[in-house]
Amino acid sequence: MEPDQALIDRLFRERVGRARAMPPEEKLLAGPRLLDRSCRIMADGIRDEFPDADEARVEEILRHRLDLIRRLEHTA
Amino acid sequence: MTSDEAVIAVIDALGSLAVPYLLTGSLASNFYGIPRATQDADFVVHLEKLKISAILQQLGPRFRLDPQMGFETVTATARYSIRALTAPLEIELYLLSDDEHDRERFRRRRRIALLGRSVWVPTAEDVIVTKLRWSLQGRRPKDRDDVRNVLAVQADRIDWDYVYPWCDRHGTRELLDHVRGSIPPP
Repeated sequence: MEPDQALIDRLFRERVGRARAMPPEEKLLAGPRLLDRSCRIMADGIRDEFPDADEARVEEILRHRLDLIRRLEHTA
Repeated sequence: MTSDEAVIAVIDALGSLAVPYLLTGSLASNFYGIPRATQDADFVVHLEKLKISAILQQLGPRFRLDPQMGFETVTATARYSIRALTAPLEIELYLLSDDEHDRERFRRRRRIALLGRSVWVPTAEDVIVTKLRWSLQGRRPKDRDDVRNVLAVQADRIDWDYVYPWCDRHGTRELLDHVRGSIPPP
């Protein structure tokens, strides 16, 4: 089932409300903290995909994927 | 070192060296809008006679400078990339350019007390003007989303008399009106 516009708008307003309630310190550092959290999940995925990879190899693949994401964002 | 610790280390290094700076990019739009993950921490710095090596020295051995200097294409600003060795975040230091809006937003930057230190941020209006310009010229959907989020969160606190003349000069008024029109009413 596709979400209707009223639901999309309501969810957006909720996100706006949460952002207004966040302490300034948290907002400033949220970007880097969310990045670290995303990277931990990506690394878990890489370990699952490459069970024989050691941590250095996992880190290398992770960096490669982050570079790929950055390039895709700049050419979108 | 985590990515947020890397950001704080750069703020402290710039503060220790008395380098005038301002946070920009998604760190600034997160501050005024709806936070999202970011791979880059962008700073505009006014180095004057100081060399980039002094900042690197202040940061210490946990950071590495990319030897290749880059350029930001919208305002032709020179850029240094610094990487924290154990964090995925990339630090981008943009030199203050001669671009008129770049200068104006730097002049209008605000000092706020955060995390027990002073942090320099642009105004919400300058985040909007800058992101619209990047969105139009860089064609990055994220910049447009960031503008929408800042507009929605800041709502009636935005000084439109400042924003619109810059948008007219940058050719982004139509885009601004389109983004404004896409925000659901409260």
